[in-house]
Formats: sequence, C-alpha cells, structure tokens
Amino acid sequence: MVVSPVHFIAVPLLAAFLIPLLAKVSKELVRIVPGLVIGYLSVVSVILMTQVVNTGQPIIEVIGGWSPPFGINLVFSAFTGFLVSLMTFMAFLIWIYSYRFKKIDDAPAQKYFILFMMLVTGSTGIVLTGDIFNLFVFMEITAIAAYSLTAFYRDRDGAEAAFKYLLIGSFASALMLLAIVLLYSQVGTLNMAEIAQRIHTVPQGMKITIFTLFVVGLGIEAEMFPLNGWAPDAYSQSPGPVGVAFAALVVKAGVYSLVRVVFTMFDIHGAYEFLIIMGAITMVIAEISALKQTNLKRMLAYSSIGQMGFVLIAFGIGTNAAVFGALFLMFNHAVIKGLLFMSGSYLVYNTPSKEIKDMAGIGKKLPMVSFFFALGALAIVGLPPFSGFWSKLYILMAAADASFYYLMGTILIVSIIEIVYYFRVMGRLYFGKPQNDVVLQKPTLGGIFAMGVLATVIIVIGIHPDFVTGFIQSAADTLLDKAGYINNVLQLTNL
Amino acid sequence: MKKLLVLLLLAVVGYSLITAMMGVKFGENRLGDPQDEKTVSAYYLNNTTQKLSVSNVITAIVVNYRGLDTLGEVSVLFLASLGLGSILYRKHKEGEEEVAILKPSSQLLQAGSKLIFPAILMLGAYVFIHGHLTPGGGFQGGAIIATGFLLMMMAYQDYRVSHSVLVWVESLAGITFAGIGMWGLLLGNTFLENFLPIGTLNNLFSGGIIPIIYIAVGFKVAAELTGVLDTLLNIKDKH
Repeated sequence: MVVSPVHFIAVPLLAAFLIPLLAKVSKELVRIVPGLVIGYLSVVSVILMTQVVNTGQPIIEVIGGWSPPFGINLVFSAFTGFLVSLMTFMAFLIWIYSYRFKKIDDAPAQKYFILFMMLVTGSTGIVLTGDIFNLFVFMEITAIAAYSLTAFYRDRDGAEAAFKYLLIGSFASALMLLAIVLLYSQVGTLNMAEIAQRIHTVPQGMKITIFTLFVVGLGIEAEMFPLNGWAPDAYSQSPGPVGVAFAALVVKAGVYSLVRVVFTMFDIHGAYEFLIIMGAITMVIAEISALKQTNLKRMLAYSSIGQMGFVLIAFGIGTNAAVFGALFLMFNHAVIKGLLFMSGSYLVYNTPSKEIKDMAGIGKKLPMVSFFFALGALAIVGLPPFSGFWSKLYILMAAADASFYYLMGTILIVSIIEIVYYFRVMGRLYFGKPQNDVVLQKPTLGGIFAMGVLATVIIVIGIHPDFVTGFIQSAADTLLDKAGYINNVLQLTNL
Repeated sequence: MKKLLVLLLLAVVGYSLITAMMGVKFGENRLGDPQDEKTVSAYYLNNTTQKLSVSNVITAIVVNYRGLDTLGEVSVLFLASLGLGSILYRKHKEGEEEVAILKPSSQLLQAGSKLIFPAILMLGAYVFIHGHLTPGGGFQGGAIIATGFLLMMMAYQDYRVSHSVLVWVESLAGITFAGIGMWGLLLGNTFLENFLPIGTLNNLFSGGIIPIIYIAVGFKVAAELTGVLDTLLNIKDKH
C-alpha cells in the first residue's frame, strides 16, 4: 500500500477501535500499539515530506472519491507537512517518555494511551484538513481527549482544571460552529480554498463578525490573551507527559488554525496588526505572570503562553522573513518546552505542591535531569549556542526590516524578564540548600532517552541551523502563497 | 461594577450576533443557484440519486460526501465515553459499603418497560437500517436504542449491561467503519470511497457502503451511549 496523508487519521482511528479488543489479549499491547502507530506515522511523515520537497508540489488527497468543494480533502504541503512531521516526532518521543511513567501505572492507565493517541490524531487532523467543518471535528476530538487527560489523576485540582478547560473549550467550540454556520450562509461552501476564493463577496460587517467569532474560538486553543485562563491550570494539573503534548501539539494546532484563517481564508485589512497587538499583550502579561509564579509547572505554562504571543507577533509582521522566524520559533518551542516539561516533571515529581522552592539543591542529586532542565532554560531564553537563539534573532531581524522598533524593544525587555525567572529557578536548582525530606524519582530509561534526543536536537540545531532552515523556508513560502493554495486544491474539481 | 461591565459586554456581543444573524436572509436561497453545477448544494441535489442511488440526500452527505466528518464524530463519542470511564474509575476498597443512587421503581414501570423494551430496540434498528431511505440514521437509531436500555436501568435497579459485550460491539462497529474506509484505499481508490454496487433507488439494498456504515454507526452509538449511562448510573454513594 502506498502511503498517503489519510493514514494520519485512518490508522490511529482503526487502532483506537482495535485496542479495547487487544486489551483482552494482553495488557501490554495497550501500551505498545499506540507507540507503533505513532512511530509508523513519523515514518509516513518523513516519506511524504521528502516527496513534497523533491517535487515542490503539495500532496492533496481526496476523501470518499468526491473532488474538492464537494468532498473533504487533505492538504499535505511543505507548510502543513512541516507541522505534522514536528507533531508526530514529538508525539513519538512523548510516548517513549510516558511508556513507564510511574503515575499512570494503574488500571485506567490503559485508557491514557488511547486518549493520547487520539490527541495526536486530532492535532494532526486539524493541520492536514482542507475543510473548515472537518477542522472543527478534529478540534472536538483534540479537545475531548485533552479534557479527559487533564483530569486523569482524578484528584480535586485536576477535576477543577479539567472542568474549567471544558467550559472554556465548549464555549470556543460553540463560537466556532456559529462562525462556520454564518460563513456557510454567505459563501455556500466549506472548502477552505473555495472560501478564500469567494470571501471578497461577503459584506464587510458580516465578514468582521465571522472573523471575530473565529479568532475568539481559535484564540482559546491558541492561548491568546485574554482567552487563556484554562492553560495554567490544565498544564499544572495534568500528568507530566500531557503537559508536553499540550505545548508541542495542541497549542501548535490552535496557532495553525488561527494562522490559516488569517492568512488564507480571510482578506481583512488590519488583521495582521490585530495579531501583533494581541500577541504583544499576550506575551507581556504572560511573562510578567510567569515571574510571579511559585509553582514550577504554572511558570512553564505562562512561559508557554508568552512564547505563543511571540509567535503571533511574528506571524502578524507578515513578511516572509517574519513568518520564517515564527515557524522556526514554533519548532523550537515544541522541542525546548517539551524538554522543560519532561525534565521539570521529574524535578517536582514527589512534592505535592510542585513549588519551585522544593527544587532547591536537586541539581546534585538528579544531575542528568537537572542538566536537561538547565539546557532547556538556556535555550528558551535565546542564548547563542542553542537553537532558541536563532528563532529569536530571525524574528528580531524581521521586525527591524519592517521597522517595528517599539516591538523590538518590547521583545528585548520581555526577554530580560524571561532570563530573570528561568535563572532564578536554575539558581535554586544548583545553589539552593538541599532539603533532605524530599524523595526523588529517578527517570525511566525511556524518559532519559526522550530528553536526550530533545537535548541533542537543541544543541545540533543551535550549532548548525541549516538542518531545518530549508524546510522552514519552504513552509513559510507555501503559507504565504495563497493563490497557489487555492489553485492547487481547486484544480482537482471534477463535476 | 463588575456585573455592569459583564452586562455591557454581553449586550455588545449579543447586538453584533443579532445583526449578523439578521444578515442571513432566511428563506432566501443563499447557497447558490441550483442550476449552477459548481455550487456544493446544487451538486448534492442533482447528483445524489444518480451517482449513489440514495433517496435521502442528507444521509448521502453525512455518510458519503462528508464521511470523514462522521468518522470523526463517532470517535468524539468514543472518546467521551472512554474519558468518562477513566475519570469516574474508582478502586474498590476493602469493606466499602455501596448504596445505589436510584430508588426502587413501581410495579407498573417494571412491567411496562419489559413490554416496551423490545419495541424500542426494533424501532432503533429500523431507523438506522433505513437511514438511506427515510429520515433518521445511525446516530438517531443508536440514541433510540440507548433510551431503551435507560428505561430498563431505571425500572430494574439491578439491571446490568455486560461491559465486555459493549466493548466488543463498540470496537467491532468502529473497526467496520474505519475498515470500510481503508478497504476503499486498498482497492486503489480513495479513503471511504464507495466500492459496492449502488443498486436501484429506494431499495433496501442500495447506496453501496452507506447502509453498512450507518448500521455500524447505529451499533456504535447505541453501545457508547449505553456505556455512558451505565457508568454514570453506577456511581455509588459511599456509606
């Protein structure tokens, strides 16, 4: 069988329905099969990505034998393919990390792996689909998997975080559905390429209403201010690997859909400036909040929100160089925040309150994990030998080229705040007075492997960014080529 | 002050939504000219009967044209019941007395539900088997069947649905749906493409893969909703 983009959806769904039966054969299969599926998908993403880069043409797959505006289609272009490859790669590492993660070891743990696999499917589906209602369906899959995973420990705080997330998430879904209904009533199609082609016929007032509904609905998933109230709770109460998945997959899918709406579907004047303003507010408020946090995971969550604000700013500048920087930052954020959440989870593993002060002096007791955390912290603030430096540099250069000098100032000031709170944690970690009563948790072999791979990626990309810049450049070109997207999809129309 | 601000915000949001809704002219055809082959709705209306020989166009849209959405919705339900199971799971502790939350029901309800239960199952099955001919389909039929089980659970306190059977039904139905989709791909066509003869219009055996998928959806929805009801009704109060 030839590989095709629909495997990203069909194979995990088939596996998800099969796993409850496999569980009757062997409990171990429940853990192994999702890993095999995600591993297979990583291979598929590499094969398809090579094909797209070699031919220079996106792969557009038709579903159900009905050509684009009539049926649903999947688009695996240099842009979506880049994100999907990143997501499946991260998902595979998270699977290795969580394979023997101790706290998900009891009976319902079996459900963890199915939910996690569906979270991956939903996020990749959002990125791949070329149909706005299908995007909504995948967003629902992602969201419902995410609610269940947030409440997975079944304690009071977890339930509260999940309920908060559920309420805000349902609100987002409702708004999004309303936006789709209104949009369909105006353009009579759900295909994103055809919507992009016909959007200029929609009256201005209606267009802005629909756009606002989309931005609010998707902004909740993309952690945009002031819609991100769910994020710190969800990050800090969910199991460690799930926090990684939120940062590496769910938020990325949210940002992707926001960008797709702004760049491809709508042609609203001022939408880019809006992204810059919202991004800047998100970034400043989140980073200042991160400074005040005493809980490690909440601090990482606020830092994650801040980084997403930074990504929105870069997308809002809108030039090719800025979009390149934004995509590079998304890549870096997935890898580095992944490493930070993975190592951070072990640093506060047995402390009930997950406070930063409990980490004092652990640096000498858990040298490996602490080293990974320190590496991640140095990389995310953007210090030179690591990969985080390059994305920050590219975005600053793009901002300078577009003469957004105030923005550059804001970004640099926020970077200082970032350095302060990350270095404070590192200071505690290495020079704090050790507490004797904290029982430390040694990382699993899979955990060390996953963190090691991420750390290697951070260092290698930092020294030699050319490994990824080629892919990111073609991804940025593809995203900005709106006419090309419309043309590639609609040329398949077959009555 | 805070309440006033919230009210003001709600008023602004409500006003803009109402204005937007007023912009949609109800009753007027905004979905394109039925003569213009290139609009989606015209294409569905003009081609469904010939190309799929399905008289219920909505079923054709839900199961075939936009089959991937339906597969997604089925998985949403699957995930919801799975997530509920994982959140409400509780280890059974030694010496823990459990009290059922439902009160015993009357003789009338018990006798009546026994009588009506098979009829409900029959109606549900009818609705999803004839999804391509008459209004209704897998989701509706499955929900009807689940109400039958709900009735039995309310009438008989100790009525239990075997979880093992539910898991089998749910999984096999899901595998049928996704498997049919994959089979289309394996035959060299596209995912979820019809590969069976479409038959003649208005016959029970027509529409290619549509009835098979809808029957699978019916079983799956019924099993999942019953599973959700069973999970929720079995939360016991600690004594």
